Amino acid sequence: MKRFINDIKKYFKYTIYAAKAELKSEVAGSYLGWMWWFLEPFCFMLIYAFLCTYIFNAKEQYMLAFVFIGNTIWTFINKCMTASVKTISSNKNIVTKVYLPKFILVIVKLLVNFFKLLISLIIVAGIMLIYRVPIALAMLEMVPILILLFILTFGVCVILSNYGVFFEDLVNIVNILLKFTFYFSGIFYSVSTRIRAPYGPLLARVNPAAFLIEQSRDVLLRGTHMSIEWFVIWLIIGLAISAWGVRLIYKNENDYVKVMNG
Amino acid sequence: MIAVEEKKKYAISVKNLHICYRNIKKTSIRKAFLKKQPKVEYFEAVKGVSFDIEQGKIVGIVGKNGSGKSTMLKAIAGIFSADKGTIKLYDNTISLLSIGVGFQPKLTGYENIFLSGMLLGFSEEEIKEKVDSIIEFSELGKAIHKPVRAYSSGMYSKLAFSITAILETDILLIDEVFSVGDIKFKEKSYNKMKELISKEDRTVVIVSHSMNALKELCNEIIWLNDGVIIDQGAPEDIIPKYEEYMRNLD
Repeated sequence: MKRFINDIKKYFKYTIYAAKAELKSEVAGSYLGWMWWFLEPFCFMLIYAFLCTYIFNAKEQYMLAFVFIGNTIWTFINKCMTASVKTISSNKNIVTKVYLPKFILVIVKLLVNFFKLLISLIIVAGIMLIYRVPIALAMLEMVPILILLFILTFGVCVILSNYGVFFEDLVNIVNILLKFTFYFSGIFYSVSTRIRAPYGPLLARVNPAAFLIEQSRDVLLRGTHMSIEWFVIWLIIGLAISAWGVRLIYKNENDYVKVMNG
Repeated sequence: MIAVEEKKKYAISVKNLHICYRNIKKTSIRKAFLKKQPKVEYFEAVKGVSFDIEQGKIVGIVGKNGSGKSTMLKAIAGIFSADKGTIKLYDNTISLLSIGVGFQPKLTGYENIFLSGMLLGFSEEEIKEKVDSIIEFSELGKAIHKPVRAYSSGMYSKLAFSITAILETDILLIDEVFSVGDIKFKEKSYNKMKELISKEDRTVVIVSHSMNALKELCNEIIWLNDGVIIDQGAPEDIIPKYEEYMRNLD
């Protein structure tokens, strides 16, 4: 634990710089440059707007914002997890040449995606303004929800990044699991109301992705408070798996280079 | 005897160093399930090596391919730790002179100087101070503001060499990088290397197959073979013996 904090401190600046560098390099050379960070989610929004109005015949209140919140959070989870499996081997030229705690690489990836999530949320705010969603104090609870999202994703990603070094086909498994979870997380529908009780409400709590999505919608669109008890439960779980993942990395990171050389 | 040893200031102390490669290859989940107890093969690359290096010394490591030289260097650099034994660095900063650490190909050379430098443990301010001399030494001129992926391999390694050469650490580990760029730059980098190395309190460990370079640069040679030290001493003594041994292998 102490080592973890020291390492975070020591590599903090590098982490930020590397995340910035990655964001820059993603748009470097494209014609529209950083505009893409806004354009991409904005275009997705147009697609959803089309889907919602013409195909699904919107059933939820503020349908567009509703879908967009779900998608924003899901995209973050999805991108981070898919990337984390290969994080260590795709940074081979760092890992084999210099020591750095390997979870730093995971954090860099998370920060990159978190930045995009924030942009996406700005667009959500825009949509909410257009809908004239009433402003509520509960909206502030989005901050702890995002922190929880970050911690949970970090924990899972660190563990995946560790096993990703040793197991070639973990990517495939993670992809299938993500697809599966996608359908049970209610990106386009409300898990707790659309799936028959007691399964729906239950799923909205025990599936962390669904939980985070539902809670975000509650605080942003409905102005209701988040469920504190489940928040605490997931926070404890999140911290526990993060701690496990970091320990796993410390224990095994010595072997990563050796595996990759062979 | 003890009194004499206390006078010497060591920069690196390696004691009874063992490094194993557990033959963990990448595997598939199916294989992991089928083989209930995977047979782990151990391959010991370094088998109980001990030596001390005084501060300011330049030490060359020789040995045939696969004798554990690079593995040991990586362990000293902290890229992986010892399975047994200890490596003491007495709080010296250390870097492994290697090509292109952490470069982002789409970013400019300038930005990559910072990225790479921070990865080596320097602060942004320290790098800012030296960035001009890095650019100057690399001879890249205006190309420094072009993305690295547009560089030729020569330009790439010039930049990489300049970064590690100019951002100085107390201990420098060099793994066979005497040939970078064109002849002109090669000479220049060799001279720079000599200059870097000859600094009073800078400790250098060089792994190389170029006996001439080692003869010229080093004040001590360690001869590794199959993970153990065969001999250690002045270059004039060790290198002829080593060359003799290598010729007789054929």
